[in-house]
Amino acid sequence: MRALILLLLFTLSSLASETSLNLQVKIMEKVLNEISINKERIIWSDNKTICKSFKKSNLIQTTPDCKQATIIILQDKNNLPKECAHCIVFVLDYELLSKVPKSFGAFFWKKGRPNIVILKSRLKGLSIQASSALEPYLEEKIW
Amino acid sequence: MVKAKEIFLFIMLFILGVFFIYIYFYIKQTQEEIFIKMQGNKIEDVSYILKNIEDALLSKNHILSKDDLISHLSNRKNRTNYEEMISLFITPSIKYIYLLCKDEDERFRFLLDASKEDKANFYQKFDVFNEEYALAYQTSKPQIIKQQEMQNLYLTYLYPIKSANEVIGVLSVDITSDIQSEILDLLRPLETFFVILIIFIFLLMLMTILQIFHYFITRKKIFTDPLTQIYNRNYLQEISPRLNLNHYSLAMIDLDHFKVVNDVYGHKAGDAILAKSSLIMKSSIRDNDILIRYGGEEFMLLLYNRDSKDDLSEIYERIRKNISSHIFTYEKNKIEMQVSIGVHEYPAKEKNLNEAIKVADKMLYIAKKEGRNRVICHKDNSKSIKNLNSKDIYFVKRAIEEDRVLCYYQPIYECKSGKIFKYEALVRIIDTDGKIIAPIQFLPELKHTNIHYKLTQRILFIIFDKFKNSCDNVSINMNFTDLINKDIETTLIDTFASNPSLASRVTIEVLESDEIQNTALFKEKVKLIHSYGATVSIDDFGSGYSNFKSILDIEADFLKIDGSLVKNIATNEKDFKVVKSIIAFAKDSNMKAIAEFVHSSEVYDKLLELGVEYMQGYFIAKPCERLLRESELFKG
Repeated sequence: MRALILLLLFTLSSLASETSLNLQVKIMEKVLNEISINKERIIWSDNKTICKSFKKSNLIQTTPDCKQATIIILQDKNNLPKECAHCIVFVLDYELLSKVPKSFGAFFWKKGRPNIVILKSRLKGLSIQASSALEPYLEEKIW
Repeated sequence: MVKAKEIFLFIMLFILGVFFIYIYFYIKQTQEEIFIKMQGNKIEDVSYILKNIEDALLSKNHILSKDDLISHLSNRKNRTNYEEMISLFITPSIKYIYLLCKDEDERFRFLLDASKEDKANFYQKFDVFNEEYALAYQTSKPQIIKQQEMQNLYLTYLYPIKSANEVIGVLSVDITSDIQSEILDLLRPLETFFVILIIFIFLLMLMTILQIFHYFITRKKIFTDPLTQIYNRNYLQEISPRLNLNHYSLAMIDLDHFKVVNDVYGHKAGDAILAKSSLIMKSSIRDNDILIRYGGEEFMLLLYNRDSKDDLSEIYERIRKNISSHIFTYEKNKIEMQVSIGVHEYPAKEKNLNEAIKVADKMLYIAKKEGRNRVICHKDNSKSIKNLNSKDIYFVKRAIEEDRVLCYYQPIYECKSGKIFKYEALVRIIDTDGKIIAPIQFLPELKHTNIHYKLTQRILFIIFDKFKNSCDNVSINMNFTDLINKDIETTLIDTFASNPSLASRVTIEVLESDEIQNTALFKEKVKLIHSYGATVSIDDFGSGYSNFKSILDIEADFLKIDGSLVKNIATNEKDFKVVKSIIAFAKDSNMKAIAEFVHSSEVYDKLLELGVEYMQGYFIAKPCERLLRESELFKG
């Protein structure tokens, strides 16, 4: 009986974390679909969990090789391979926006809430078009 | 069997289930009330803090508008001062305190963030999804956001900062759910226990429902005889504990000569007859009567007699008539059937149902003996039946022990010579009052009991003792089960071997009964008797158990025609023809025919006409304790 309760609790907690991750992936998927990069959206990420979740997406492809990717989702600056410097980057931390010049936007959790920031100037520099749906998240600069 | 026990269990489980659900929701409600109270206290505390912060921020710095506020806080030093001050209020339960303001695009931006972790930059955008932020601006009133599924945040309290009645910013406090989590963690085992208990109870309830459902599905099968589609003995067993015999009259019904149907037409025909007979019986009774297939071709009928306008004897008679008037057909064969019915009108007078069945069985036995196709009724006030009822196995046992068993002898008359050919020995018991008790009053009780064999042994002893030194012939009645009994066989063989003269004068009359299933064994025993010079007679031939072929195989010496056939030959053409056929069959098979139940001169004349060799009956002589002589015959 005890084992059953533990299993139940484990399943519930797994489901809760799964929900948070799914939400994050869905938001990013939406953001990435609202930008036009004139290329096929192929994602590489240093966060393998996110990468795995993106595999379920019908709209966005993933790749294990960053050279084949068109968009990089980056969690840690140190994980960005040099040979992939050509790719546009979407970061998972607000502070990374200033550290990674090729990054055009970020998804991050602030005070427990999901937050999105898209930098107008970077979009322009990278020739990325953002749809009006992203308007509320557009920022002139990094604060 | 599902009875009140299962229903009681189900109700108990249901009550328990409802009780535990109530307890579960009671705990949940109490938990909610605790949280609401805690929330109220916490918010009250926080609102005082925020008011103080507001005062410190606005009044000391002469901030009159949003721009003043932004301008004042855009200074890093000012910001740091305030953040350090506000951070003093950070506790394990107050996780974040920050000041937000709305920009021109209606987006919220951080002005201050006193959080020790996850700190935001000045004027960094903050995406909010709750309308309470906008409401705080619109209404100028504090707002509470109950957070759900957001890290470990429990509440967000929004406190609008006003200047000149205009909201210029919102102080936001995020309260963690740590204490609530602790309370929940403490209550969770209790909750889990109740949830598991409720699930367990509902599973048990489900199982009980399934069992009850299964019972009702299988009930019909359990209590119904598949062949006749009427109740079987399981049903009788089920209802007997609560059956009020005062409301019923009980009858045992037996299909006459049923074995003949099986032997002649096969068991399928027998089954068809049984099914159809049941249908006829069922259509002859009322809805509140209970018809049960008691076993084989025997049925038990419980006629409801309470407030009944129907004459119950008419119902029994109706059953008998309906069966006898119906022509049963099987594969183009037309078969006539009859029933014998033994009735106990007042079964409640007996100790229990089994005793009442025994009485009804005795009545059935009498009905069979008296020629079948009749209803014999046991009325409680019948004195003779009362006596009959008292003759049980112990009565016979005591009679044997106290040497009160004796034999009467009825002459068997040889028609051709006009002499007594032999005597049939008939058992009697003298009761303690000196009254002679007829075998019909005690033999049915003894069937298959050890006392029966003891009684047979005693009879053999009496007969052999009487006839050992005389020249008269004697006929001894035996059941097939007696004949195959080792002790009885030893008695016969020892006597025959030691007295061959006696053996040559003895005829063993074996009752034609359903027990003679093993014809080969019967034949073997007949050969054994023949080997000592004794003869064998088939008693009650035509009563329906044997067929002509098996009688031929047995190679008996005499064929005694059943009294029920003989007694009506003067008036019944069919019986006359049957008796005629049997006599002819006996002659052709080298057997001598004996007609019993010769009760009148008319029957006697008819039998003479048919050329029967031997006769016995009250018209010739009644059974007597002593051996009658020729001069004493035909004396009425």
